[in-house]
Amino acid sequence: MGQTIGKPTSNPFQNSTLFSSLKRSSSSQPTCDQNTRPSIFSTLKRPPVSKPSDFIPLFNDCIYAASSRTQEYLLFKDPEDKFHPSPEVLTQSVNLNMTDTFNCTVMTPEQRILLGADWVWAVLEKPTKNPRIQIAVQVLHMQEREDTEENGITPEACSESLQMAQKESSNKSTYERLVDFCTSIGKDCYALFLFFGKKNDKGNIYGVLSNNFEAAIGKCNNIDRTFIENFFKGSRVKHFMSLLFLLNC
Amino acid sequence: MDLYGKMAATQDMKGKGEGGDQNFDYMFKLLIIGNSSVGKTSFLFRYADDAFTSAFVSTVGIDFKVKTVYKNDKRIKLQIWDTAGQERYRTITTAYYRGAMGFILMYDITNEESFGAVQDWSTQIKTYSWDNAQVVLAGNKCDMEEERVVSVDSGRLLAEQLGFEFFETSAKDNINVKQTFERLVDLICDKMSESLDTDSAVTTGAPTAKLTDSAPPLQQPGCNC
Ligand SMILES: Nc1nc2c(ncn2[C@@H]2O[C@H](COP(=O)(O)OP(=O)(O)O)[C@@H](O)[C@H]2O)c(=O)[nH]1
Ligand SMILES: [Mg+2]
Repeated sequence: MGQTIGKPTSNPFQNSTLFSSLKRSSSSQPTCDQNTRPSIFSTLKRPPVSKPSDFIPLFNDCIYAASSRTQEYLLFKDPEDKFHPSPEVLTQSVNLNMTDTFNCTVMTPEQRILLGADWVWAVLEKPTKNPRIQIAVQVLHMQEREDTEENGITPEACSESLQMAQKESSNKSTYERLVDFCTSIGKDCYALFLFFGKKNDKGNIYGVLSNNFEAAIGKCNNIDRTFIENFFKGSRVKHFMSLLFLLNC
Repeated sequence: MDLYGKMAATQDMKGKGEGGDQNFDYMFKLLIIGNSSVGKTSFLFRYADDAFTSAFVSTVGIDFKVKTVYKNDKRIKLQIWDTAGQERYRTITTAYYRGAMGFILMYDITNEESFGAVQDWSTQIKTYSWDNAQVVLAGNKCDMEEERVVSVDSGRLLAEQLGFEFFETSAKDNINVKQTFERLVDLICDKMSESLDTDSAVTTGAPTAKLTDSAPPLQQPGCNC
């Protein structure tokens, strides 16, 4: 921890924890006949996730590009102190579309509420372009997310549908919604909570990625920001068998 | 009955919003389903925003848009859910079937596979939604006549067999988009009046007065909502 992404030497995947973790998940996926009729159980049977070596460098580049750009925002000091980028800008600046094997979809304001995701990265299957692995990302800024949600929304045109979206999902926190969304897809969908800056370390970006956050539900009462931040202190890590990596870029 | 119960429930929302466009008499939940890339998202964009883009951005999970329509002086708020067609999202999308009063089941007239999947989608509706949910079958991309592989007749025939209404549509050229939604709204209204007629218990409720009051019918006689 504590490395900054601005340095070319700080490769978030240097120790290849993501690499090995994805490999592990791929070997645990049972194969299945893709032509089987759609059924609710079919999310349990996924085609095998192929070796990650082809997309890791790509993913790496994306993270690198996104985080460099973001860090410029985080550390930028306007001499006249007139520049105040909103969390919104930060969230939307990370819209990268690389190739036809990897894409990033920015969620609509409604989806951000319903699914708890700000954007979704996907590694695509070559001929079909179906997602093979997805990472649903929720961005947490230096100030509490709840603040930004209430203040960051323009009261005009979309407010009605946003209120509806909120009503649809009012019984769950945004953290839980993201975990629910990923769980509904299956083990090849990872939830990534991305912190742009932390209290004592404003220039850094931290993240915690897992395809098994749902294990937390039941062990703890609920998933909230404190809970997620605790990952960084390591106090809860032991609870999760498949905690994949702590992104420290 | 369930349908009506839901209607009554949505009355709660009436007048609750602080200012703005919050008032409505009814809210209908509609779902657009069908294989990936048949044009569901484009269809909704055309209807709600009168826009079209040829770029394909595969929908993640679910999304929705809101549009208000007027029928016999009643404001009907349509909450239209756009679903992702891919299998991996099946768990999350089917969770939204339950509350839906109407479905637009879409295939692509240039894509045989999407037409072949209609039967499966219809089964999904039967499995996960209310019995009273209304369905319109839409054969989209009818602007692409040269690439057509599904004839109008086979579309119509399948709709008949499944008991659905049928339109061929184009989100691109804005053909039958509004008509499809309007027909679905009419069908839901008809169904509502029907279930009210057959159950006198609910006719004592306040919302019933709204449903049965005799506003002059528009083009669609027989629908009183
Ligand atoms: N020619 C034509 N193309 C369409 C029509 N509707 C959608 N498309 C295109 O078909 C592709 C998939 O559309 P989309 O709405 O994303 O499909 P979805 O996956 O069902 O939501 C996009 O490239 C659209 O531009 C249509 O009516 N005519
Ligand atoms: Mg779509």
